[in-house]
Amino acid sequence: MITCSRCGKENQDHYKFCLGCGNEIRSGASKGAGAGAGAAAPTAAASSSVAQAARDGVASDNHHQQPHPSPAAEPARSKGAAVGDPERTAVGVGSDPNAPTPPPAASVARPRSGIPWNDSPQLGPSAPTPTPLLTGAGLGGVARAGSAAAAAAGALHPGRVNASGAGGLAGESASSDLLHSPPASPPGAGGAAAEGTVCASCGRMVSPGFAFCGSCGARVSVSGAGAPGVPLTTGARAGHSAAAPAKVIVPRGRLILIRPDGSEGGAHPLHDGENLVGRGQGILFDGDLYLSPRHAEFILGPEGLMVRDVRSLNGVFVRIGEEEALESGDIIRIGQELLRFEVISAPVPLEDGTEVAGTPNPGFWGRLSVIVGRDVDGSAFPLFGDSVVMGRERGDILFPEDGYVSGTHARISLRDGRVFINDVGSSNGTFLRVRGERKVPSGTFVLMGQQLFRLEYK
Amino acid sequence: MSTVKTCPACGSELPAEFMFCGKCGTRVDGGVQPVASGTSARTLFFGANAQPPTRAKLIVIKGEGVDGVTYQLAGTDHLAGRSEGVILFPDDPLMSPRHANFIYRDSRLFLQDEDSVNGVFTRIKAPVAVPSGGMFLVGEQLLQAEPSPPDLGPQPDADGTYFYASPKRPSKMKLVQRLRGGEIGMVYRARGETISIGREGNDVNFLDDPFISGRHAQVSVSADGQITLTDLGSKNGTFVRVTGETQLVHGDYVFIGQQLLRVELS
Repeated sequence: MITCSRCGKENQDHYKFCLGCGNEIRSGASKGAGAGAGAAAPTAAASSSVAQAARDGVASDNHHQQPHPSPAAEPARSKGAAVGDPERTAVGVGSDPNAPTPPPAASVARPRSGIPWNDSPQLGPSAPTPTPLLTGAGLGGVARAGSAAAAAAGALHPGRVNASGAGGLAGESASSDLLHSPPASPPGAGGAAAEGTVCASCGRMVSPGFAFCGSCGARVSVSGAGAPGVPLTTGARAGHSAAAPAKVIVPRGRLILIRPDGSEGGAHPLHDGENLVGRGQGILFDGDLYLSPRHAEFILGPEGLMVRDVRSLNGVFVRIGEEEALESGDIIRIGQELLRFEVISAPVPLEDGTEVAGTPNPGFWGRLSVIVGRDVDGSAFPLFGDSVVMGRERGDILFPEDGYVSGTHARISLRDGRVFINDVGSSNGTFLRVRGERKVPSGTFVLMGQQLFRLEYK
Repeated sequence: MSTVKTCPACGSELPAEFMFCGKCGTRVDGGVQPVASGTSARTLFFGANAQPPTRAKLIVIKGEGVDGVTYQLAGTDHLAGRSEGVILFPDDPLMSPRHANFIYRDSRLFLQDEDSVNGVFTRIKAPVAVPSGGMFLVGEQLLQAEPSPPDLGPQPDADGTYFYASPKRPSKMKLVQRLRGGEIGMVYRARGETISIGREGNDVNFLDDPFISGRHAQVSVSADGQITLTDLGSKNGTFVRVTGETQLVHGDYVFIGQQLLRVELS
């Protein structure tokens, strides 16, 4: 936690502006202005020890792409942020500052129209040899879509590209040019990073076929002028069109990544039948260490879409619409808080007739526990009365330090012996972990790992 | 020659030299019947023979400090329980069938928990060390204090996935409320190194508990995770659960099941 020097309020480590007064908490954290470029965070390099240092909160810049809550922020930085939110609720999913911080795949540039986006070929031993500068899943992911094209065309050689880009990249190689830097990259991810061109303005690799740099948004010169030694010209185009994937199926459904600032990132296609998503199943997922390799299944059938939990570590969460029934053991997420609801049942005597002693129950029918670790609970709030309201500033259960929780966020109520949860107009939504399978209508928001997606299908 | 007489009140047989009936307390030697103190004050004798009052007594406190039944401990072992032993509380569902043993040994009195379900509690007179998860009673509240485990940082599981959890606010200790039946009610995480408990104005307040004083008790945690329980001058006292065998001295209070007992030793 960081204490604001102006008003003394405690803020989470990764906040840049005080939740109480809007004062800038950190100075000099200006790497990457704006949400898009912010994705190229100077996260730890591929070595796990550096990653550990980042996790310890030393490199607090990791989250600077999270839009700050204060409306008085510098305009450049607040590009895309929910500046107008009167409650100063931070928009976005938020990340755990204590964990490794791979930025979302927002670093992937938007595709030009007509390119079948990310058919996610499974990576295998046939992936091109990795280059020393470009290890890490993110860049591998970025380049992967084009790698099939480039490899087929043979227009770009790893060696040639790196030589030209070495100057710009060498200085940052160890620390800053890795968009996704999990200590254990998904297999093959590092291998596909070779093809691509070098952005003239920021020096990052850009996949062939893309007109804009995914990291800084600068236009990558297609004609070759101005880009030092970037052989992006006909080679890339020819390679791309020559190796255009054979199938031109437009997927019936898509999982669209929603960036922390609310804009849309890439999309993962969903075909009829079962679609398994997880770390290693697609570019959008590879950088998120909170995703299991087998994380969730989306089953697209004639009647609609079902999402199925496949026992991933962190589960799949669906944003609730109006009201949802809660069962004992259900896990919900509001803001960054992970909460478990449990019913408190009437006491039952033991076999020998002895009753277990304790505080007389003053009317508690449930309990909401804060999950702070794998088998560790933090605070627990008893539920009593007709309903209990959760929020950041107003309500019965308060989370004053979580900027991603709205002033009043959700309500849990007891009615006719059943428990329900309602979102009461929060900015970021209330999410319920899927148990088993669940039907999801098009437009539903789905939270997996640390990333938010919107489901769309016809 | 008979050395036995019969009590005129209840008809039980008594040794001739008795002045009072051992069963109902009626004076049988013709003297003045002493006035009983309290509505149901009876003295029950334990031990092989009817000697005058012995070295140790347990007085059951019921209600507002009114003494109820007095148990004279004349033997060596005196088992208390719901259905077994010489000190019986058959209507107390919080007593185990065999609950606790009062042992008189070398002119000293000891209390031994007989593996009861709900344990035995003694009133603390000075700050005591409490083990992690150790239970204590404040008014009607059954509470536990636990130091926080050391933070190992995020650990990935077998396939490299990290567990997502709520942001951790560092806290050294938590206070757990146990409801009747065993469920957890409320859990409060310490902001500093102490948690004060009482009816109002404390870190944790129980406004509706009539047995709790305004400022009642406090738990504190040391740097190495040792928890200390202190009573802050409450009216009804703070009771800590004791395991194994504990020595009792004159003036001690013992809480077993739902019974509050005071110890008197001469």
